Amino acid sequence: MQTDKELFELIKETYSLNPNEDFVSATDVKLRHLARKINRKRNLKRLSLSSCGIILSALAISWFFFFSGKEVVNHALSSFGEDQASSAVNQQEPLVYIYHTHNLESFVRETDAKSPDDAYDESKNITLVGNRLSQALKEKNINTIHNSKDIMGILKSKGLSFAKSYEVSRESLSHALDEHKSIKMVYDIHRDSQKRYVTTETIKGIDYARIVFVVSRLSANYQENLKFATLLHSEMEKKYPGLSRGVLLKSSGPQSTYNQDLLDGSVLLEIGGFENTLEEEYRSADALAEITKEVIGNK
Amino acid sequence: MPDVENLEDRISDIYRKHYLDVYRFLICFSGNQNDAEDLTQEVFIRVLNNLANFNSGNSLKTWIFSIAKHVAIDHYRKRRFTSIFQEGFFKQLVSTDKKPNEIVEENELKRVVHKAIAKLKPQYRAAAILRGINEFSIKETAEILQCSESKVKVDFHRALKDLKRKVDFDDLEEVFRNAN
Repeated sequence: MQTDKELFELIKETYSLNPNEDFVSATDVKLRHLARKINRKRNLKRLSLSSCGIILSALAISWFFFFSGKEVVNHALSSFGEDQASSAVNQQEPLVYIYHTHNLESFVRETDAKSPDDAYDESKNITLVGNRLSQALKEKNINTIHNSKDIMGILKSKGLSFAKSYEVSRESLSHALDEHKSIKMVYDIHRDSQKRYVTTETIKGIDYARIVFVVSRLSANYQENLKFATLLHSEMEKKYPGLSRGVLLKSSGPQSTYNQDLLDGSVLLEIGGFENTLEEEYRSADALAEITKEVIGNK
Repeated sequence: MPDVENLEDRISDIYRKHYLDVYRFLICFSGNQNDAEDLTQEVFIRVLNNLANFNSGNSLKTWIFSIAKHVAIDHYRKRRFTSIFQEGFFKQLVSTDKKPNEIVEENELKRVVHKAIAKLKPQYRAAAILRGINEFSIKETAEILQCSESKVKVDFHRALKDLKRKVDFDDLEEVFRNAN
């Protein structure tokens, strides 16, 4: 009986363990040839990928600037609602809460409506302005909650009257205030039903939608809210003279606390009127974001 | 990830470093020089095509051999129904230094050895060649065959037992006596 080693020696002897030299060099040449081919393919792929990328981005940029891309993008962003906003700002605790009790309020120039009574729209409405404001605040590193809840839709589905709208919007607001003690400011954003000449101001040749700050006399926080609204107005006067229509006090109607009793630092804003354009509204929203940043530092 | 620019040099280096071992594995596995050469080429073409997927954490040599094992077993499956015993096998075994009688004896011995190896199940055959001829450790063999170390031990043991039974010197002497 042989040992393992002998057995393998026997196997080794059985076969010619060295390949043909011609074969060895031919294979080397063949492999080098294939490698060159692969390299060429890869380069071609990389080239075509990068040129595709350049062409695509050029198309996207031209679409954005020369066609109606900008509007589409803004619209798409706004329909994401409050949850989708960007990056690191969301890590901070929110400071501002924005909502719309009359969320369908719209603009005759953006829709087919003729009068303020018809100017209500499912998509092109005041919620877009609130969204713009919230985006502008986030860009200034102020974390903001924008509640784009369809209050009117809830009213309709529950069979409630228009007068109950503040009660419906109150639910989300008080819930948010319980959850985020960090919130310092609450904006309920509307648009006015006044004519265009009342709600429009031209600053340095550019049309803005004018803003009026509405404070309820009947809420427990009346004094603080009034101070807050007055501060916003006066800061706005410094930077954008004429943009603010001032502070309006209200003391009647069944819903007249406007939920302003929930937090000192609440204000109802009418940004522009039914005859303004979204573009004018957005400008004012940007200006308001700037003022908000100033004021939040002092609060 | 290999340097893309040097792919050509890299595959050439790898090839020159490993072709002999791979060839030896394949000649023992297939028993035929032509096949072994074709298969060796096939192994290194696959190595080239998959070099981008090679995980540099592993040993390059065991990776190449796991490809070689796949190539060998694929080849075995293709040849299953045709005779493994090629005519060409005897043609290449011509040794000129020996007397005719020795040639007969030696050829007879080689025939027996070859037949014994060719009869082994491919999994046993691979384990036996990797351990015995290529001298891989049990751990490396397990990596190449993608099985556990204990399975390698068992397979190798069974392969050896089977080979010894068939290639017993006593039996061989008897064969020669009969032949004479």
